[in-house]
Amino acid sequence: MERGWLYDGTSAVRHEVEVAGAGESLIVRYADGDSSEVPRAKLFHVDGRGDFEVFGHVGVDGWRLGVPKAASATLGPILPPRRRYGRWIDRIGLWKAVAGAVAVSAALIFVATRFPAWVAPFVPKSWEAGFGAPIMAGLEGRFCNTAQGRAALSKLTATLTPRAGELDVQVVDIGIVNAAALPGDHILIFEELLTRADGPEELAGVLAHEIAHIENRHVTAAMVRQLTFGLFVSLVGGGTGANLETFLQSRYSRGAESEADEDAIRALQRARISPLGAAAFFAKVGREEARMGALGRGLSYISTHPAPLERERRFRASAEAGTAYKPPLDPEEWRALQRICRDDPARR
Amino acid sequence: MDAKTTQPLGEESARGEAFAFTGTWQEFLPIALTNLLLTIVTLGIYRFWAKARERQYLWSRTRMIDDHLEWTGTGKEMFLGFLMVFLALIPVICLIFLASYLFTGNTLAKILGGLLMLAVYGGLFYMTGVASLRALRYRLSRSYWHGIRGGSDDGGWRYGLEYMWRTLAMFFSLFLATPWAQTRLWNARFNKMSFGQHRFHAEADAQGLMKRWLIIYGIIIGAFVVFFAAAASMNGVRAPSGGGAALALLAIGMFIVLYIGVPLALLAYYAAYYRRVAETTGIAGLRFRFHARTMDWLLLLLGHFGLIIITLGVGALFIGYRNYSFAVRHLDLEGDVDIARLTQSSTRAPTDAEGLADAFDIGAI
Repeated sequence: MERGWLYDGTSAVRHEVEVAGAGESLIVRYADGDSSEVPRAKLFHVDGRGDFEVFGHVGVDGWRLGVPKAASATLGPILPPRRRYGRWIDRIGLWKAVAGAVAVSAALIFVATRFPAWVAPFVPKSWEAGFGAPIMAGLEGRFCNTAQGRAALSKLTATLTPRAGELDVQVVDIGIVNAAALPGDHILIFEELLTRADGPEELAGVLAHEIAHIENRHVTAAMVRQLTFGLFVSLVGGGTGANLETFLQSRYSRGAESEADEDAIRALQRARISPLGAAAFFAKVGREEARMGALGRGLSYISTHPAPLERERRFRASAEAGTAYKPPLDPEEWRALQRICRDDPARR
Repeated sequence: MDAKTTQPLGEESARGEAFAFTGTWQEFLPIALTNLLLTIVTLGIYRFWAKARERQYLWSRTRMIDDHLEWTGTGKEMFLGFLMVFLALIPVICLIFLASYLFTGNTLAKILGGLLMLAVYGGLFYMTGVASLRALRYRLSRSYWHGIRGGSDDGGWRYGLEYMWRTLAMFFSLFLATPWAQTRLWNARFNKMSFGQHRFHAEADAQGLMKRWLIIYGIIIGAFVVFFAAAASMNGVRAPSGGGAALALLAIGMFIVLYIGVPLALLAYYAAYYRRVAETTGIAGLRFRFHARTMDWLLLLLGHFGLIIITLGVGALFIGYRNYSFAVRHLDLEGDVDIARLTQSSTRAPTDAEGLADAFDIGAI
């Protein structure tokens, strides 16, 4: 017989009770002599409170029985075990649960990083175009067009890929040194990239890179990943999930960038365009990042692109001595392309 | 039977404090660390169970009058509540996609897209209000004391409307109506809540809050006036050299005033706000008191920063713990509680947990 206390769940009054075991049940005896029997299966452990372990009663809201901690010697077998991490984890143990979760999570991450590339080729182009359209519509009025400029751009695109006709390459009057591939086979070249380039070879390198993104369906794969695993993990996983998503996204896109660089180098080789232009471009980007501080190097670990100096090296190394490289555009064409925004009659 | 049923609180503890926090960081650390570990290895899904474990500990180390509180919410129900809301939000996400697609069409489509966008965001605005009431209801329904819990039978649907119009009034008054809106919304939430068979009653008003709220405006306007007056006088003098440097110094000074002065004034406002809403909220002959002054809040926040810096970030695990124990240590009750006549709540225990509030990332109080 152990002395305990009871809240019966109907009123807040605390009853002094005596508790004893009887087979698979607990007998709770009130001070006035009444008693009730609680089967072991109905008991669950709530908490340790001072010198008492507190138990609840399945199906009786607020029923709480305090049993002295010292009573575990006599009542031990009847009292349910302590709950800690959650039912599944308590059952198999913390470390086994951690190991299991690591295995499942690793498998999930593996699939999540591979499966977008598997699925991407099967995504209909029309479906993909629907995602690019709002972005293109948002840029309405910023596209640059002149007859000579367009002709030069088309010529350059055609030297880099046999499927130039399926691509929509546009120059946008935005003052950043960059280019982008959008869902729906759109390639955007931002004006500053053109005006700052020292020759058509620089542009050819960047354009070949963006074409490779589209032909490898990297844009599609990134979308598939974001709309499936990315959405799920960052919503269900909260802060941890969002961090993981950022990390995986940067990992994924770094892989895609490297692949696009390799394809771009091959495309330049096929077209007999010197890769030194692209190398010079990345050297420029690298110098700019270096100006922003040594932080740049550290950031490249989590950034979405490989470090520019690494890319410069790769393009420079692909240059073959003795190859007769030819400029992809003649000086007149290149000038027309560089001035495509300034000379656009609709923009003056 | 227990004879002493009506307990004057003053006699319960020497300092007349109805609440005490009895937890220690040594006890909490293993909970926080295993929570972190399990959350990471489960890609974040364990966070629901982690929250339940954390609250279970914090509640169990909170003594109210003569016994400790108990948190009975489970990770599973919070996870399911979240999934429920998550599924409900999928059509909303689709509508947002549809609206942004409509924007690419002709004028009529653009108008339709705009209306759709307005409807979706209006709906989310409304649901934010609903969620804050439901989160409070859930927390009370899982909080036990003497085997008795709280709750509410109100679904928050009308509160959502009240939240909308008072928040809009706040915006349109250039936030001058903030103390008014916040206290009225506090009342609207707590007047719907109960513990046992007793209803909470809250009648907070903006008394004493308006002055502190206006100080924020004073600091901002004052900083700008001083800056422009000084800039204008310098212009008049036409300082041949050093004028630019003095102006820059003045601008820096203004930013310091704004970035330190405004948060401090905000802190002073919220210190007064919580004291006011506590002392005007009560239940069955009991009235709450919240004793934290601006300086206490400031020390709490500086403590957070210090802890995180000294522990190189690990201390962030203790922010929730520190906030909770701060609240408990400054909370008090006045009046008598008739324990024999406190009976179980008849409210339905909600099953949606904090799903909605979690989705909108808002707290309950």
